[in-house]
Amino acid sequence: MSIKAAPLQQKFITPNFWVLIFFMVSGAGFAYFRFFEGFGSVTNMSKAYPFGLWIAFDVACGVALAAGGFTTAAIVEIFGREKYHALVRPAILTAFIGYFLVGLAVFFDLGKYYNIWHALIYWNGTSVLFEVAWCVMLYLTVLGIENIPNVVEQFSGRVNLPGPLSGFNRLGNWILSKADWFTKKTMAFFVIAGVVLSFGHQSSLGTMMLIAPYKLHDLWYTPMSPLLFLTSAVSVGPSMVIFEGTLAAKFFGRKPETELLGSFAKYIPLFLGTYLLLRFLDLAYRGVLAQAFDGSVAGYSFLLEIALFVIPYFALKSKNVRQSGTKLFLCALSVICAVVLNRFNVFLIGMDMGSNWNYFPSVGEFAVTFAFLALGVMMYKIAVNYLPILEEEH
Amino acid sequence: MELNRRKFLKIGTAAGGAAACSLSSPALARDEREPDPNWYGMLNDSTRCIGCKACQVACKKENKLPAESTIGDEKAFGQAIYDSPRELSEKTFTLIKMHQDEQTKETTFVKQQCMHCVDPACQSACIVGALKKQPDGSVKYDAGMCMGCRYCMVACPFSIPQFEWHKAIPSIKKCTLCSETRLSKGQPTACSSACPAGAITFGKREDLIKLARKRIEAEPERYLDHIYGEKEVGGTGVFYLTKPNVAFAGLGLQDFEYKAVSGLTESIQHRIFQYFIPPIAVYSILGGIMAYNQRRKKAAGKLGGDDEY
Ligand code: SF4
Repeated sequence: MSIKAAPLQQKFITPNFWVLIFFMVSGAGFAYFRFFEGFGSVTNMSKAYPFGLWIAFDVACGVALAAGGFTTAAIVEIFGREKYHALVRPAILTAFIGYFLVGLAVFFDLGKYYNIWHALIYWNGTSVLFEVAWCVMLYLTVLGIENIPNVVEQFSGRVNLPGPLSGFNRLGNWILSKADWFTKKTMAFFVIAGVVLSFGHQSSLGTMMLIAPYKLHDLWYTPMSPLLFLTSAVSVGPSMVIFEGTLAAKFFGRKPETELLGSFAKYIPLFLGTYLLLRFLDLAYRGVLAQAFDGSVAGYSFLLEIALFVIPYFALKSKNVRQSGTKLFLCALSVICAVVLNRFNVFLIGMDMGSNWNYFPSVGEFAVTFAFLALGVMMYKIAVNYLPILEEEH
Repeated sequence: MELNRRKFLKIGTAAGGAAACSLSSPALARDEREPDPNWYGMLNDSTRCIGCKACQVACKKENKLPAESTIGDEKAFGQAIYDSPRELSEKTFTLIKMHQDEQTKETTFVKQQCMHCVDPACQSACIVGALKKQPDGSVKYDAGMCMGCRYCMVACPFSIPQFEWHKAIPSIKKCTLCSETRLSKGQPTACSSACPAGAITFGKREDLIKLARKRIEAEPERYLDHIYGEKEVGGTGVFYLTKPNVAFAGLGLQDFEYKAVSGLTESIQHRIFQYFIPPIAVYSILGGIMAYNQRRKKAAGKLGGDDEY
């Protein structure tokens, strides 16, 4: 029943390739100023908005949107839903790329980026960020390990380095066989560890802004925030798998796996329902819902966020929607947008850091963010082209 | 009785400190941190301030801070050029600004600066522990440890820490309570020494509170009967007095609750990581489910595992 995954081996340099290069180069240009002239020369961050697009989108959304990895791994490997096997490898790959980009974005956002390793040696247990940093670091390692089998499968016993490096072929093969042995023995351990670590930092991202009770808007300031962040991340996981699966099929000219993805989409209303239930219970219990209708920007942003969550929840309950490629894609997109908006609301829009201050990301901030996205797509393109990630068409 | 309580608290904080240092040892749900009466701090008497900004000048001099261009803001102020900075910044650690009470319209000059909190939010938030309450009462920033994540700026309820937005290698900047430059030499803070109106008093926390109370008692018609900072956000090291017809909100000092802002985040973190039980429990449950499913698969004659990844 299991169909082997295989590298695509398509022509690599396509027009899309140049589009990606363009974004990466322009981002690099702005990055120069950020690193050598200071944040002020590129970003619109200020004393009132010390966190900008890079934290709100690249980090907070990045982590949430990379949740496809641990949710799919949990569904297939832990809960034994073998049917969705084909979705695991791409999901784990995109999660790895996602977390890699999160790490890179943090590096860009840190004033003293060269001190990033201080998180390893100076421990401040009271800091939420400390816990997030450790979990992200460990999870990235776990994701790296989870991706080893892809490399092993492709190259084991076939290491063929060019020219003078060919002397290392034996060494390469030996390393791969050891890696193979190691990952086979330990994979179950790492799969579960990945899920536990994800629980840890997905929820802690929700704890982060709770340190500012007088700045974060009541609509989002709740002790339930960690649980809400976790459950929304779990809901967006399968949505991301559908989103990426659909796009990958389109761009690599493959047949879309609508049937499989549509069936996988069944999990979304389940997770999303749990999330929305918790969310509304919390809002009702704290009695803050009225503030959503006070005509403020935060209020409208809240309403939009809720709409984006609720619509796909109901839509995806219908089999009809799940079996139509486009509708399915749009529903997944809606959940993704909802989670993105939610993170923006918590990290930026709902934060009142004093009047007279506004923030809208600068061109430079957007350029760097787009460069990260382009880099991610490029890494994905390279990986699926040369590694057995996607299953052969059936 | 009093002694016993203090001793008990000391043990409590010691245990708390030890727990915070090491993740592997249990993290206790944190009690309210008790202030040390010997910590230094300042009393800013807004009823005395004449708005001369001598403290601002002294602070710049003490910390060798450059002048600040305030060009701009034409829209807000009707003129583009103005002589004094309007906000705290990486070049201005303390600032005298005029505030107006919304209700009574009474105006007051108020000094703004780091409050050197008893239980600082910035310290709780800092990922590497670069901001720390010192035995002398100041909250000290260590630029060598800092990674520049700016979480302290988000955490501080008074929005005090400032970031050097225009430097390639930026640091956080804020009032130091002159801890290293003056306190260590037995001198009071630069701003308090400079004030010609006696509006800033430097001293030990305990003495400052006593002094403030005495002032209120002696001239009840001059003061509102409240010492801002004694309890707000779990207590601060810098206190404020105000006129009876000016609420503290009318001085730009928010009406904060009497507990540290970091209470919720810290107790959530501690609850999640207490003895590492929750993560281990989740791990075991997931492991159990996985084992069960694999056994079931094997029983069904399908070998799971080998080409899983
Ligand atoms: S006022 Fe802000 S910067 Fe100063 S000690 Fe308190 S939390 Fe830290």
